[in-house]
Amino acid sequence: MRVGVVCPYSFDVPGGVQFHVRDLAEHLIGRGHEVSVLAPADDDTPVPAYVVPAGRAVPVPYNGSVARLNFGPVSAGRVRKWLGEGGFDVLHIHEPITPSLSILALWQATGPIVATFHTSTLRSRAMQAAYPVMRPSLEKISARIAVSEDARQTVTTHIGGDAVVIPNGVYVDVFARAEPAPLWQGTADAPTIAFVGRLDEPRKGLHVLCDAVPQVLRSVPGARFLIAGRGDVDAARERLDPTARAACTFLGEVSDHDKAALLRSVDVYVAPQTGGESFGIVLVEAMSAGATVLASDLDAFRRVLDDGALGVLFAVGDGAGLADSLLALLADPARRARLRAAAGVAVRRYDWSVVGAEVLEVFETVSYGAQSVAEDPQSGRFARWRRP
Amino acid sequence: MNLPEWLLGLLVLALLAWYLSFSAARIDRLHHRVEGGRSALDAQLVRRAEAAVELAGSGALDPASGLLVAGAATDALDAGELADAGTPPPTHAGEPSRETAESDLSHALQLALDPDLVTAMREDPIGAALLERLRASCHRVQLARRFHNDAVTDATRVRAKPIARWARLAGRAQAPQTFEMDDEPPVALTR
Repeated sequence: MRVGVVCPYSFDVPGGVQFHVRDLAEHLIGRGHEVSVLAPADDDTPVPAYVVPAGRAVPVPYNGSVARLNFGPVSAGRVRKWLGEGGFDVLHIHEPITPSLSILALWQATGPIVATFHTSTLRSRAMQAAYPVMRPSLEKISARIAVSEDARQTVTTHIGGDAVVIPNGVYVDVFARAEPAPLWQGTADAPTIAFVGRLDEPRKGLHVLCDAVPQVLRSVPGARFLIAGRGDVDAARERLDPTARAACTFLGEVSDHDKAALLRSVDVYVAPQTGGESFGIVLVEAMSAGATVLASDLDAFRRVLDDGALGVLFAVGDGAGLADSLLALLADPARRARLRAAAGVAVRRYDWSVVGAEVLEVFETVSYGAQSVAEDPQSGRFARWRRP
Repeated sequence: MNLPEWLLGLLVLALLAWYLSFSAARIDRLHHRVEGGRSALDAQLVRRAEAAVELAGSGALDPASGLLVAGAATDALDAGELADAGTPPPTHAGEPSRETAESDLSHALQLALDPDLVTAMREDPIGAALLERLRASCHRVQLARRFHNDAVTDATRVRAKPIARWARLAGRAQAPQTFEMDDEPPVALTR
């Protein structure tokens, strides 16, 4: 099957959508399908062979931060060319409601189109304002996939209709078989606890963990906290309680390889996020690697952890609650072993071998008996004036 | 001519009283000017955002640019509503302050309106009307912001005078703030 995939975000910047697109593309290629990924990138940026660069992304203030996006007539032209040359059986568009390549592709294509919705935070007012232009494009989607129940609810509330839930995939064995790093491994007296996430993005919840550290150290003085993620390390260290600084090690941004080693080595992985999470792929990675997960009880995390059967939940934003739960976990190795065993079985559901097959089933369903993807003749620039 | 001392004292007191009341009235007038300027600026900012929303939904832009402009415009409208409600400006990422939101809208319009598109739109009567409305509202935002900031500068200068500070003539009125934003209209519209 020839599959055209559109990623709205630049591969230069790490992000959940980009990782998902990359892993899915490689998985499908591994199964013998032909995949072409259109993504924002300069023509001279090194990209994997299956990626077609769509030109330089423009940094734009969007959604409260600066996103690198592609829009405008030049990008639209690139998308049209890619569609014309691709001869795809299926077009798979990610995060279609983003001012970038995805909506441009949706606008200009016709045929079997699958869209995957990743986010659970949709800006509905902006969408309403652009709705007259968006609706005809959104109507062309033959099948919608949501990566989580939260993302699905967003689709049903803001767009109407339904979506099939297919979670993000993880290469479970990459994590399960990662080589532990002795430096990061804990002992009975000095257990290790990991955090992975942007340091300076409040919703990642590092401050919640920091609040909990002094209380944990009072009961377990040897505990070590390994904090991985991009951001200003000095500022983060500055915010820590002075008694806690020695126990916290900042690792900076870690490679995929080091992340797997870290999660494989530590006793507990803490996810103190305070919101805006649609799925929680790191939780699955941590469980795959055999770390016990302690997470805030966001809906998304609650679902991944099966209401606490696979990991422990604490109230969102509650540093003291985090500390209590963490201390209880550290004091009870038998419980940790039970959770780890249950999680080790449950994560197989997220392995690419399962998830990839589900995505393929959707592709096959929509492309059955259908023409291949072609350019939509109605997508001329002035085709749809909204007459007052 | 020799005035009695008591008369001289009375004169000085009267002069001081007159000067105080004159200064108080002056500050009050300036405060009113600031308020007037601020509501005019508010109105123009809202008009500009509405013109941008209309452009985004018109079908003239490609949908990506449309969504970008719609996002920036609705953010600006939201930030304006928050400011009207007297909510303190949010500090965390995700909800920009009003000044940031309005600057972002200027930036988004700048990026979305490229010269070729503007030329093509001007050939269509509906497109031309949309652009004209947007151009006029961008220009009025610039005017209103300048007038408002002028008033703030005047008021701040008078409030800073020793007599005003010593006699607390400004009362409990908050020190007026200038409105800082990038209000450059899209280059393609000014040609």
